[in-house]
Amino acid sequence: MKFFEALANAFKIPDLRNRILFTLGMLAIYRLGGHIPTPGIDAEQLEEFFRQNQGTLFGFIDLFSGGMFRRLTVFALGIMPYITASIILQLMTIVVPTLEKLSKEGELGRRKITQWTRYLTVGLALVQSFTIATALQSQGNFVVNPGFGFVFMTMISLTTGTAFIMWLGEQITERGIGNGMSLIIFTGIVVGLPQAIGNIYQKAFETREWNIVQLLVIIAIMVAVVGLIVLVERGERRIPVQYARRVVGRRMMGGQSTHLPLKVNAGGVIPVIFASSLLTFPQTLTQIAWVRDNAYLSAMLRSIQHSEPLYIILFIVLIVFFCFFYVSIIFNPNEAADNMRKYGGFIPGIRPGKNTADYMNNILTKITVVGGLYLSILCLLPEIMISGIKLQHLPLIGNWVDAYFPRFILDGLNVNFYFGGTSLLIVVGVAMDTVNQIEAQLIMRHYEGFTPRAGRIRGRRSSA
Amino acid sequence: MSREIIAEAREAVARALGLSLYPGQLRAAEALLAGKIVEMPTGEGKTVAAVPAIAALAREGKGVHVWTANDYLAARDQQWMAPVYKALGLSVASISQHSTAPQRRLAYQADITYLTPHECGYDYLRDSIALDPRETVQRPFHAVVIDEADSILIDEARIPLVIAAESNDLSAHLSDAARAARSLQRGIHFHVESDGQILHLTDFGIDVAESLLSSDNLYADPDLLDALQSALHAEHLLRRDVDYLVTPEGILPIDDYKGRTMRDRRWPAGLHAALETKEGLPPRREGRILTAVSLQNLTALYPFACGMTGTAATQADEFRLVYGLEVEVIPPHRPCVRIDHPDRLFRTKAGQYQALLAEIATVHATGQPLLVATRTVEEAQQLSAQLELPHHLLTAKNEAEEAAVIARAGEVDRITLSTNMAGRGVDIVLGPGAAERGGLCVLGVGRNESRRIDNQLRGRAGRQGDPGASRFFVSYQDDLITQYLGTAEANPDDVQRLLEGRHLDLRLRLRKYEHILEAQRLLHAERRLELDTPEEKLRHDDLWSQHLERVTQYRAGLHFLSYSGADPLREYLRLVHDWFEELPLQDPEASLGARSRGATWTYLSTDQPFGTPFSRLLKNLLASLHLGAKKPPLPKV
Repeated sequence: MKFFEALANAFKIPDLRNRILFTLGMLAIYRLGGHIPTPGIDAEQLEEFFRQNQGTLFGFIDLFSGGMFRRLTVFALGIMPYITASIILQLMTIVVPTLEKLSKEGELGRRKITQWTRYLTVGLALVQSFTIATALQSQGNFVVNPGFGFVFMTMISLTTGTAFIMWLGEQITERGIGNGMSLIIFTGIVVGLPQAIGNIYQKAFETREWNIVQLLVIIAIMVAVVGLIVLVERGERRIPVQYARRVVGRRMMGGQSTHLPLKVNAGGVIPVIFASSLLTFPQTLTQIAWVRDNAYLSAMLRSIQHSEPLYIILFIVLIVFFCFFYVSIIFNPNEAADNMRKYGGFIPGIRPGKNTADYMNNILTKITVVGGLYLSILCLLPEIMISGIKLQHLPLIGNWVDAYFPRFILDGLNVNFYFGGTSLLIVVGVAMDTVNQIEAQLIMRHYEGFTPRAGRIRGRRSSA
Repeated sequence: MSREIIAEAREAVARALGLSLYPGQLRAAEALLAGKIVEMPTGEGKTVAAVPAIAALAREGKGVHVWTANDYLAARDQQWMAPVYKALGLSVASISQHSTAPQRRLAYQADITYLTPHECGYDYLRDSIALDPRETVQRPFHAVVIDEADSILIDEARIPLVIAAESNDLSAHLSDAARAARSLQRGIHFHVESDGQILHLTDFGIDVAESLLSSDNLYADPDLLDALQSALHAEHLLRRDVDYLVTPEGILPIDDYKGRTMRDRRWPAGLHAALETKEGLPPRREGRILTAVSLQNLTALYPFACGMTGTAATQADEFRLVYGLEVEVIPPHRPCVRIDHPDRLFRTKAGQYQALLAEIATVHATGQPLLVATRTVEEAQQLSAQLELPHHLLTAKNEAEEAAVIARAGEVDRITLSTNMAGRGVDIVLGPGAAERGGLCVLGVGRNESRRIDNQLRGRAGRQGDPGASRFFVSYQDDLITQYLGTAEANPDDVQRLLEGRHLDLRLRLRKYEHILEAQRLLHAERRLELDTPEEKLRHDDLWSQHLERVTQYRAGLHFLSYSGADPLREYLRLVHDWFEELPLQDPEASLGARSRGATWTYLSTDQPFGTPFSRLLKNLLASLHLGAKKPPLPKV
């Protein structure tokens, strides 16, 4: 495989090898921290709670923390506060003029924004750990010795943990290889892999829940899904851009066509996070007694529970919506058209300005719909595998469906389909990105002996 | 060992020239031999100080190149120092742009060769595409001593020296496009972006242009569009006598950064031809680039390099990071008594000019000679028009008189108004009585892009312990300040520091893009050594030319890659690597033939300090990456 090939080559170069080893070392430290529990928690009770709340917002936070949230280790908050902080600051650069100016001031301004992101991360971590600590207390039996001492201790442990992870991530980005933050999330997911495989093995060969056909079908689906992800993640629509050999700064440039790539799945996993958060929010309301007691409300909430047809429809709609939302943030066709015009580019046959923007917008719309549907399939597949689609709950045709549809459609296979959804998307995405980076490094090293790098010209000592 | 040679050379200088090298100069020689950049104040004898170091390097018998700022200095320094080298048993020669190939070959055989980096670079490139090994003129590079090192290693470092072959491309639309361009009007048919470098048609302009050129869709006919763009640029953005001169030799561009005309520089072919059409000259054919090397990369080809300049200390970081060269500052032999007055700041340009004119009048009344330096030719002309006192204006238009004007700039009662061109080379010697009146007074109109260039200007005054004074008049409406910090009241020092940092950052990033191509060029050149027949070599060169063209064009659209969230450098590296790998398998699209080789030029360097359009694009790209709203620094999940 290309991945291992790149890795093997990378290990032949001392600097690259050191970078990779450094990265692995940092990730090992991260895993180690994942086994240090926060003091004062009854771990078994907590584990049980999470088993019941899979697939809710808690489940997501747990995914990003690599299972550490479930066990409430010192790294329980994981990297989520940092992600939230960066999203908030990104949005603020649009709104707050001071920040907007800073973001345009190059290196110095960027550093300042990074610094603020760190502060905000700590702030968010404090708030979140406080919420968690008080929630745990109020839930009753998780906490051994409730009280202010527990809350304070938890806040300090969790916030320090997050700050430390943030530092680990930055160290990896700077001195290791790949994007540190992504790799930390990646690690959290991948460590679950052996267990998942064990799980499948158990079902196929020990408890004999599945027969050989079922096993093969599941494996086939897994392979197909990975293939789909790799295919779509690399997929982009290339809009040809031609340069009139236009003068910029009194020089000519271009002359032959190049392209503007538009990714099919531009938002990565982010639309899914948004959509799930929004959909699971109502579930949180069921914790409130009067909502539960209100027949109308509770029926409504029940109909948007997991694997209900309405839930599935809403999920798809929301994912597609957030795909558009994300794309509209990162890519503005008018601006791109303007930029293109400014640098003398044009799409062959299409006038610059509004026509170009419209053309790009049209393409963008099409591929974003495709991207959204792809994400929906990817995320719904594991859910359906677990619990099917509850078509029998539909009004009018419900009974008929109940009677004639095969059970595995309605109730699912009860397979914990590890290879699906967001986790797989993240794993494949990060792996591809990291391999790309190693490859780029390898190419650079390939020419090293020939590149006039700093220090190549060496003055001899005065004794020469 | 080196100390003995320095001692020997010192004695030789004393006997042959009657000059006694003082300790600072000897220290400079030692620092040069240690491979450093030596900063020495102006007028303290850099040329002589380098002699012991050059002699020591030349003793190794593999040839030493001494890079000078221009042909005149190469010839002068060589003649001046020849007796010293002769006494030391070393041969010395110089090369100018008029030297013939046999003369060059002979000169490169000498122990010491004085020449400009441009001549050296062109000879290097011509050798690299020579079909017959007997045609080559150079020996393998051994050591180089660079005069005005900051100018060559920083300001001009990234300007590529280019060797091109004449191709058959000459746009068929030249005269039509020129006619159409003449009838289109700014503001109605096209807009010009703020910096006057970018021009684009409005929707209405497209309609009009299409009917003028009887085209259905201009954007489906790239050749026509190309011709029109060039014609528009030539017609409306380039001004005769300001941006270029029309001479019997043809069109000569003016570098508005340095304010000089440049004989071996030209606009890229399409524009040059459009300009020639505009001026009614027969258009020349386009050249296709065969191979190119930047001064930075050329310098890196020497196993040993050192240099000297009047201003290096502020750029010490860059010398170390980019070239691995340390900077050593030699204290002045005679202490500098020049008074550097603090800047005077003005809210408006009008206020700045008013105060400047008043200051000129006040200083002039005392008889103290004045040098007033502007950043652009335009500004110099504006000031000249407002200045009622008798003065001498020095711009690219009368650069022939440069030496004469500068030579007398230190005389009592003299006012010299100049662009930055008066910054280098010839010293301003004070006239009789000028020292008693306070020496030369330098007034700068606006700060330059780096402290180093400001220091160069200040260095015109107070040479060799002469009295002198300097002061900058800065307005908040100066381009430098408005361009970078909006209208906010910012300290010019901060702006300069910010800019210097940003430029260094950008240059370091750009190097990553350029390294691979230079490495590939060297690899390709190495493979060429194994080829025997001229046919094979021709094919080999054509392939390189093709690769270069392909990469250049790919770069033009590179900033679009960021839209997909891809790291442009990675994509670029991968593609350029793949193309190079498959290069030997390809067939050249069109052979350029042996006949037409040899046109040499460099590109204009007007958009200093950024060398290529690509770097401008990258700048824009980086800016947009920094622009958080477009590219959230989320983990790529």
